[in-house]
Amino acid sequence: MKGEVNNTTHCFHCGELNPSERFFYVMIKDEKKQMCCPGCAAVAQTIVDSGLTSYYDHRSESASKASPLIPEQLTQLAHYDLEQIQEDFVKQTNENLHEITLTIEGITCAACAWLIEKQLRQLPGLQFINVNATLHRVVIRWQKDQLKLSVILTEIHKVGYKAYPFQIDQQEAFYKQQAKSYLRRLGLAGIVSMQVMMFAIALYANFFSTMEAEFIHYFRWVSFILATPVLLYSAQPFYINAWRNLRHRTLGMDIPVSIALLGAYCASAYATITSTGEVYFEAISMFTFLLLLGRLLELRARRKASESSSNLLRLLPAMATLIAVNKESIVAAKTLRKGQIILVKAGETIPIDGTILTGISNIEESMLTGEHLPVHKAENNSVFAGTVNLTSPLTIRVEKTVQHSLIADIIHLQNSAQQNKPQIEVIADRVSRYFVGTLLIVALCTYISWHFIDPTQAFWITLSVLVATCPCALSLATPTALTCATASLNKQGILIKQHHVLETLNKIDHIVFDKTGTLTHGNFVLLNSITHANFNKQQCIDLASQLEKVSEHPIAMAFNKQQKHHVIITDVLNIPGQGLQAIYQGEQLKLGHAQFCNISNVLDSKELVIYLTLSEQLIASFELGDTLRKSAQEISQYCHQQHIETTLLTGDISVKSEQVATQLQLTNMIKGVTPAGKLRHLRTLQASQKILMVGDGINDAPILAGANVSVTLSSGTDIAKNSADVILLGEDLNKIATLRHTAKKTTTIIKQNLAWAIAYNLIIVPLAITGHVAPYIAVLGMSFSSLAVVSNSLRLLK
Amino acid sequence: MEIIYVLIPIAMVFVTIAIAVFFWAVKSDQYEDLDREGINILFDDDLEKKTEHKSNDDK
Repeated sequence: MKGEVNNTTHCFHCGELNPSERFFYVMIKDEKKQMCCPGCAAVAQTIVDSGLTSYYDHRSESASKASPLIPEQLTQLAHYDLEQIQEDFVKQTNENLHEITLTIEGITCAACAWLIEKQLRQLPGLQFINVNATLHRVVIRWQKDQLKLSVILTEIHKVGYKAYPFQIDQQEAFYKQQAKSYLRRLGLAGIVSMQVMMFAIALYANFFSTMEAEFIHYFRWVSFILATPVLLYSAQPFYINAWRNLRHRTLGMDIPVSIALLGAYCASAYATITSTGEVYFEAISMFTFLLLLGRLLELRARRKASESSSNLLRLLPAMATLIAVNKESIVAAKTLRKGQIILVKAGETIPIDGTILTGISNIEESMLTGEHLPVHKAENNSVFAGTVNLTSPLTIRVEKTVQHSLIADIIHLQNSAQQNKPQIEVIADRVSRYFVGTLLIVALCTYISWHFIDPTQAFWITLSVLVATCPCALSLATPTALTCATASLNKQGILIKQHHVLETLNKIDHIVFDKTGTLTHGNFVLLNSITHANFNKQQCIDLASQLEKVSEHPIAMAFNKQQKHHVIITDVLNIPGQGLQAIYQGEQLKLGHAQFCNISNVLDSKELVIYLTLSEQLIASFELGDTLRKSAQEISQYCHQQHIETTLLTGDISVKSEQVATQLQLTNMIKGVTPAGKLRHLRTLQASQKILMVGDGINDAPILAGANVSVTLSSGTDIAKNSADVILLGEDLNKIATLRHTAKKTTTIIKQNLAWAIAYNLIIVPLAITGHVAPYIAVLGMSFSSLAVVSNSLRLLK
Repeated sequence: MEIIYVLIPIAMVFVTIAIAVFFWAVKSDQYEDLDREGINILFDDDLEKKTEHKSNDDK
């Protein structure tokens, strides 16, 4: 059989290495393709059976490795049909129609979106489906009486993706709604501007040659009618902001913008109706369009970043297995009460805070400490919601309800830290405040003085002062620079959620780092292997890797991809908290810690050591540890050069922390702190310094929210991404230096822009006040100064 | 030149229609996922189903 197929080494479906000892094939377009595992084969088969093979023609990325659905997972999915569990994320749009948003794991390209849509459209009762490939989300509406949610989820699993119910957070929903409304306003302003400009050019021509008065009048009326919706609808956000500023007794950029818009509009309308003076309809429309464009781009960038930190709902499982009178039943986790007893199987996330009644297991508490090494827990130990039970089933007594669990506290802490975030005033605000104040006074004085000189001219001259001074250039100065900088950072894999970051970053004089997952990789790697018997190194690693294949323990990850040759071992046994054992060539093979392997002379090491024995004879010992990221060294050096103080702030209590701190020459080191402790420490530092926090874990969320600027990595937890201002895609910490560099450049550009806008105003204002600025010069000057500002900002894109 | 008294109002009607269409497009989420729709046209919609083709040869 092997001879007739072209044996590729990589799986046709997911692109991973194919095993050399087992074969899985699927016929795709009359060709036999090899797959790496039954999971991928099953998915490929489903795709072929549904007639969706063109997925393989058009995909631009390999699919992610599929795991076959085991019956247990299927029953798990069935629980999603429970009313009680659905009510959190299923929206009832009408009597019989339900709507849900799901996040989907494994979408790699647009072809995936097509595949999922096609697969689900075959289901009876499905009303609407839209897969968003960028956000990895799908919106589904279905008829409740014809289709079950679990069927939908199973279908998605069948084509190799994992779907989870999703709750859009409030901020994101708000952004979405805002972006839509800005887009509508912008579209209207854009289309209308084109029309009005057309008539304006005809009117400009009138400066040079004469046009019949009736046409002028006609063009003016047409422009008037067209510009009215722009002013009433498109420009609304400016009025609202201006009004808000006035109510809070501050002067913002939107006040002169609104005054100029409304003033120019009223004057033009008056001029049109009475056939006197000048009209500025084209300036109004263009001005609105440009400003809206800037705001929309800004909003888009922010929205993109906030969407990349999505699924907070997955922190806690939605359901729990309740044990009551020796009967197990599935209930929604939020309905659990204190004193009830639940069962948590191996591999499940613990839904509540509680105490272990029976069972011994390893629990991953990275949520609390950031450490991925599981903690051994037995009867009477407490466990926390959101931590993962790794090895064996536990019965747990509920001590606190979901709303009062530790993780709920952390989220609460994060929210309150966010609210109390120190505000740093951005330059543009300060400049515009003075500028606006001066401008308003100047305009007022102009009006009053002209009132005495020549009352008929007073209004027109005041208006030309307002138009010529052009809050346009000034109001574009900051947003265009920020938008361009954000766009260029985006391209480099740095997502900015809060615009103020680019200005605040310059003032940073202290960087606080989290350890595990931030400065280090956050997982175990094989540091060193020592052989003790007549086996060579690779043989030992092969043996250990083969054993670890059955294990889900983080240690097993260290052996992943280390294996070169297949070894045949039988009767593999996983002894939770101890190690693994198996039979190799008739002898007993053991892999685990010293006690398990009966080793008396343990290796002296700061790292974790595990031993491999064959018939109680030591053959190898492996040193495992978490390694520093390469970029960690570089970023700490950068901090030294720039005279930025550095602190290592970690929840870990082991000696590893000191080692990392000395290795990187960090200025301070604080270890073993709780999430609340981290936040307290931040507050003391903030009294004198501006802090940049870099972290990734759930336990970092509050401090990320509270720091002046916070950065997280894309590998970080969703809640960390949610609270951070900046998300770095990839693992390169050096991007912080890039970020800071761009921030510096941006600030320079903003200052240049402001200087230009102010210089222009200093020249034009005296001329306007004395009545020497013809309307078309005012408009030209305004357009020119705006263009200068925009092109200066565009330099940031390079 | 008097013709513009007819042509411009007609143009304005078209502008109104264009705006209405644009609003509808925004409302129906057509600007939500700009990466994907460009590729959508590549897929064949009606590929015949090959359900009889069960072929997991390894069994």
